Amino acid sequence: MLRVAKMSQRILAQGNTAIGYGAVNAGCLHFFGYPITPQNEVIEWFARELPKRGGSFLQAQCETAVINMLLGAGSAGVRVMTSTSSPGWALMQEGLSALANAEIPCVVVLVQRGGPVQGTTQHGQMDYLSATRGGGGGGYRDIVLAPASVQECSDLVQLAFYLADKYRNPVVVLSDGLLGQMMEPLEVRTLDFGPLPEKDWALKGLALHKDGKRRALSCLAGFCFQEVYESYLDFIQHLDEKYRQMADSEVRYETYQTDDAHLLVVAYGYAARVSLEAINMARDEGLKVGLIRPISLWPFPSEAIRQGATRGGDFLVVEDSLGQLVEDVRLSVNGQAEVHLLNMLSRHMRTPAGMILPDIVLEGIRKLA
Amino acid sequence: MEKIKVRGAPKSWQRSTSPLTICPGCQHGVVAELLCDAVDELGIQGNTIVISGIGCAGIDAFMVDMDAFIMCPHGRTCDVATGIKRALFGKPIVVALQGDGDCIAIGAGSLISAALRGEKITVIMANNANYGTTGGQLAPTTLLDQVTSTTPEGRDPGLAGYPAHVPEMLVPFRGVAYAARGAVNTPANYQRTKRYLKAALQKQIDNIGLSFVEILSACPANWHRTPVECLKWIEEKMIPEYPLGEFKNADRID
Amino acid sequence: MTRGEISIDERYCLGCGYCVHFCARGCIVIPGDRFTTMGYLLPVFINLERCNACAVCAWMCPHQAIEVYKYVESGQNEPEDISSG
Repeated sequence: MLRVAKMSQRILAQGNTAIGYGAVNAGCLHFFGYPITPQNEVIEWFARELPKRGGSFLQAQCETAVINMLLGAGSAGVRVMTSTSSPGWALMQEGLSALANAEIPCVVVLVQRGGPVQGTTQHGQMDYLSATRGGGGGGYRDIVLAPASVQECSDLVQLAFYLADKYRNPVVVLSDGLLGQMMEPLEVRTLDFGPLPEKDWALKGLALHKDGKRRALSCLAGFCFQEVYESYLDFIQHLDEKYRQMADSEVRYETYQTDDAHLLVVAYGYAARVSLEAINMARDEGLKVGLIRPISLWPFPSEAIRQGATRGGDFLVVEDSLGQLVEDVRLSVNGQAEVHLLNMLSRHMRTPAGMILPDIVLEGIRKLA
Repeated sequence: MEKIKVRGAPKSWQRSTSPLTICPGCQHGVVAELLCDAVDELGIQGNTIVISGIGCAGIDAFMVDMDAFIMCPHGRTCDVATGIKRALFGKPIVVALQGDGDCIAIGAGSLISAALRGEKITVIMANNANYGTTGGQLAPTTLLDQVTSTTPEGRDPGLAGYPAHVPEMLVPFRGVAYAARGAVNTPANYQRTKRYLKAALQKQIDNIGLSFVEILSACPANWHRTPVECLKWIEEKMIPEYPLGEFKNADRID
Repeated sequence: MTRGEISIDERYCLGCGYCVHFCARGCIVIPGDRFTTMGYLLPVFINLERCNACAVCAWMCPHQAIEVYKYVESGQNEPEDISSG
């Protein structure tokens, strides 16, 4: 499982601040950000902590500037990240597609809020499709990791930096307002994911390249930048191979009591925590229900879902949107089982603070299990 | 008699690897040459990183034998430059090489914010008074009454606003250490602009503040004039609207 | 009187005519019957005597197609011009 290189302390922390501990333990010393609720604690943490650690923090003029500063910093070969919420995320789309074209690693934490775009300043899960399908100039993929606890907010950011460098690609950590604001015990630890190749491609200055050759990067690979790829399709084929590799080796998910389950709940993030609670209550009532919790939303654990379908169980997708994750579940199930949806209209209150709570999920389970 | 070479392409010049050919008489080649001359004379080729924006100026980054981010997202050159400068803790000399559209149309927010921050980068804006690569549309620096493909009757301020004077605009920003405008329509202006460029780069070497140099540059293809006629047009039409000179030259910012 | 000479590289010259325009001594002309492989009108250096290797043509060439040479008495150890590519 996770190889812990260094354990330093156990503290009570918010999901948002846990992101900071994870990032610096992954060796990230550069953060560019912009204020937006519900993730302000993240940029404030970095504003306090990075200068002390010899890092550099900058609050830019807008999120479009932020993502392009990541493009610059990432091109210089340093680990760099930002954190934002849905409206800021929308402003970062072109930059993200540029990062993917130029193959520059970085981490973007998206702390979802109610949508569409401004929507509310609280929580939601309405950016699932935007995060997993990408909103910039099309043709690229980003690995998307979804924490469901304060500990995972820290651990998955470290994993995100490893995967970003491994594939030279942005990685998205998809949190939400609830996870960001809630506090839980956090083990501040450094995770070791193994060695990574040198960033020989990084821009540093001609004098620093042993071979004396200048390095050049561009987000127009294919259009006119032919130094690396023979033709446009050579470049696209390279991306295709890279994305296949990601899809083959970076699927991550968790199952809970699925072996004998007649009903499989599929949920990520805070909705998964709520579903876990409901499943335990249902099990107490003798109902055979289990949970499949995707941790990588892209690449999506469709194989695990498909296997669940072949065992004859039906599915209940629980998500705090009108229905986005459910599309991936239906795609994976491919008609072999019923896929039901319990969505944000089942929130316990109609005001923005409304949440999907365990008892409403339990009701859903009772009807289907 | 001995034959010695006096002048050829600058040391830090390199043949463009881009299949995008430059138009005959396009002076972006001269803008890149000027940058290489200044970099060579300051001896900073090994430590300079060039970021070019989208547009004709974007191609200039192909012509320099320095680390470069070639054609970053349109208008974001100053942001990408900031990212690199901050990431490497100010060590390299970072040059944002833009056209007029990239710099003061779509990139105005990035430029203004970099100036507000006094970001220690050098911004070069090649001003050819139109959007070149896309076929000669209106740019913020298009002159009044100048015909472009999107001001077919000539630029009417009532509809398309007034020409942008960027170095003058940057003077009041405390974080701006240097702001000048040059041109390359005559050998004298070439040397003068090289002086401005070296002064601007020196501000960054001395870590003082943001430095900005605008360079008026001929665009025969979209001005629908021969290259030599363009030089006259710069002298008679552009320079009266865009006077050359140093508008700010601060040795210290406190 | 220093005497100079230039070479125009046909691969890079796009026939813009700046060199002809900027040569103060009329050493370069475009005859109109010489073309580059790309079909641009090729300028020709015609005046070995009047050229003093001032190199203005080279500076102003947007496509770095011109190299300028100077003839000096051999033995005069002229420093190699650092700016030559």
